[in-house]
Amino acid sequence: MSLALKELRRQPSRFGVATVILTLIAILLMFLGGLLDGLTAGNTGAIRAQQADLIVFSSTSQDSLVRSRIEPDQEKQVAAVEGVAGIGELGSAQLGGRIEGKGPRDLVPLVLFGYEAASKGLPEPPTRPGEAWADDTLEAEGVERGDVIKVGPARSPVKVIGFVNDTRYSGQSTLWASLDTWRKVQSENRPDARVGPGVSQALIIQASGPDSSGLAQRIDEATGGLTSSLTEDETIQALPGVAAQESVFNQIIALTVLIAIIVVALFFALITVERIGLYGVLKALGAGSGRLFAGVLLQAVIVTLIACAIGAVAALALDAAIPAGSIPFTATGARLLGSTIFLLFAALIGCAFSLRRVLKVDPAQAIGG
Amino acid sequence: MFLALKEMRRAKVRFGLLISAIGLLVLLILAQQAIQTGLITSFIGAIEKQSAPVLVYSVDGQRTLQGSIITPPLEQKILSTEGIAGSGRIGQGTFTVNVNGEGEDSDAAIIGYTDPQLGAPDQLSAGRAAQGPGEAVGSSAGFELGDTVRVLGPGGQSADPETITVVGLADNAQLQVTPTLFTGWSDYVASVRSANPDAAGVLPSAIAAAPVEGLEPAALADRINDVSDEADALPKQSAADETPGVAEVRQSFQVIFLLFGLVVPLVTGLFFLIITLQKSASLTLLRAVGAQSGLLVRSLMFQVVLVIGGGLLVGIALYTPLSQAQLGDIQLSFDVSAVLIWSALLLGLGLLSAIVSARRVLKIDPIEATTGEGSR
Repeated sequence: MSLALKELRRQPSRFGVATVILTLIAILLMFLGGLLDGLTAGNTGAIRAQQADLIVFSSTSQDSLVRSRIEPDQEKQVAAVEGVAGIGELGSAQLGGRIEGKGPRDLVPLVLFGYEAASKGLPEPPTRPGEAWADDTLEAEGVERGDVIKVGPARSPVKVIGFVNDTRYSGQSTLWASLDTWRKVQSENRPDARVGPGVSQALIIQASGPDSSGLAQRIDEATGGLTSSLTEDETIQALPGVAAQESVFNQIIALTVLIAIIVVALFFALITVERIGLYGVLKALGAGSGRLFAGVLLQAVIVTLIACAIGAVAALALDAAIPAGSIPFTATGARLLGSTIFLLFAALIGCAFSLRRVLKVDPAQAIGG
Repeated sequence: MFLALKEMRRAKVRFGLLISAIGLLVLLILAQQAIQTGLITSFIGAIEKQSAPVLVYSVDGQRTLQGSIITPPLEQKILSTEGIAGSGRIGQGTFTVNVNGEGEDSDAAIIGYTDPQLGAPDQLSAGRAAQGPGEAVGSSAGFELGDTVRVLGPGGQSADPETITVVGLADNAQLQVTPTLFTGWSDYVASVRSANPDAAGVLPSAIAAAPVEGLEPAALADRINDVSDEADALPKQSAADETPGVAEVRQSFQVIFLLFGLVVPLVTGLFFLIITLQKSASLTLLRAVGAQSGLLVRSLMFQVVLVIGGGLLVGIALYTPLSQAQLGDIQLSFDVSAVLIWSALLLGLGLLSAIVSARRVLKIDPIEATTGEGSR
């Protein structure tokens, strides 16, 4: 071990190129992961903010909020199901918002939600018509408390009464208003998507106990199969593009880890080849193969940790430097730690390719046998 | 060259590993390029394939068909623009449908037009154009000729469900990565009403326009935009390219490509640098017995070309079957230009990365063969 550490200290340049390459791979992994987390957060914030046990859509909506319609009769049927402790309607309208002081063509894409139930992520709905809480990404657009945003082609006025955090939806900023405000805005701006009195797009369900298993089935049975009840995670996975996005990114991440394995394998295989003579002498002096290989592993782990540390600092710096609402990038501790574990795993696997060479070293050759 | 080839033959595992590593990197780059192209085509293909030279959205629509809505006053203003030879309404919505009355329900984007010359796909890969109510051209990814598509209402029940038959197919004509149908306006309106019985009215999502002879589509778009601050007119290709999300997808992939573009030359450069260091004693000896530096550098560069060329061949061989696959609703395709561009780029970068090794070879002093320094 001490030999491996000494070599690292005395000949850092030998490991420099491998460190640079692994650092690039670490940055790539962390950038990809951060981009995926940022995109997912921007798409799903509004759903996560509900902190619902279940979200109920109409059965033919393909679990899409804009296509779902829950009739008042169905809501009553759901409310009567055993295990339903709380129920709140939810509706959405995706429109352009005109912010005071901006040009006539400079609109902010946003989603106006009408909601009924407060949660840890959302305060009580505004009581006055035409008022809304705004997602704090709108602050980056220059919106302040008390400002009026004109929404949609009908220029429906919506007054911002405060800000909420992490409630973006479909990558867009959000406004959170009462159900009446939502129905009015929807009707004024999207006559094709108008909903009748008491009609909503989804129901937010709080279960009466911690064990809500079977509740979804009971709700869907109670409505005669006209509803589709999903957990929050299932709703997130059903959002357009979220599952596909995760799948594509995870495939790229897996391939990047594979590349890291190849790079580590290649580098340490060559280092081992270079040191065959030295290993022979060490074995002749009594060093075991295990000890020699442990030294190679230690070097690989140290090089990888240095690369990951630089990658993590770069990712955190990028996260801090990116203005809110621009590139969807989030560097979370879990992601950085996960990427580090992946790369350490790659380093260990990569090093394993050198094991055979270390085992094959014949001490007799070193002493001229 | 003889020396370079002989060395590669004797160290098959070493060079094989590097060729495999570069091959995998090439595969990764080309696969991502194919995913990017497929994703963007599935996202905006319908806009590129529809026949109207100019699309006019409302500014509120943020350059998306699904977000745009043209109010009657705005429509009148648009149509009053000088230079319009023809115009028509275009409506778009995403609906839950059942195909052929079997299997699970699925999503379909429906694009309705009032004038087939201004909204229907301009090229078909199979079948014929829709000629009347109840007929549609479908995107070939998602539909087959003869499919019967029923638009579902809330709860799957509708007094008068809209049913559309696919009579033609168009390649690369999806919208929002969703199977897409191009129908007449009446079918589109019926679909909206089928899905939402509370709909108060069905307004167009965009106006399709064709310029008079001699006027470029871009010039017509400018004129329309001058007429109203609420109109957002774009030539067809710009409408596709400027769809929200397209630029972000391109940018994200470009950053990834840049990083991979750096990894390939670094891997190659590192490999040849270590190889050069390892055989410095032999190279010194060769110099001492009269081998010219130029010959040794050419051997090195020849190996670089062979290794990267081999990696490219491996990568392209693996990419070829992959490029024929379909990822969900995204159809991949073999992109010749991407293969050529990346091959040239990686070869160039690989050669550049070998410069450090070449400089080391050039610095070898033959006299060191007599002092033993060359073996260090």
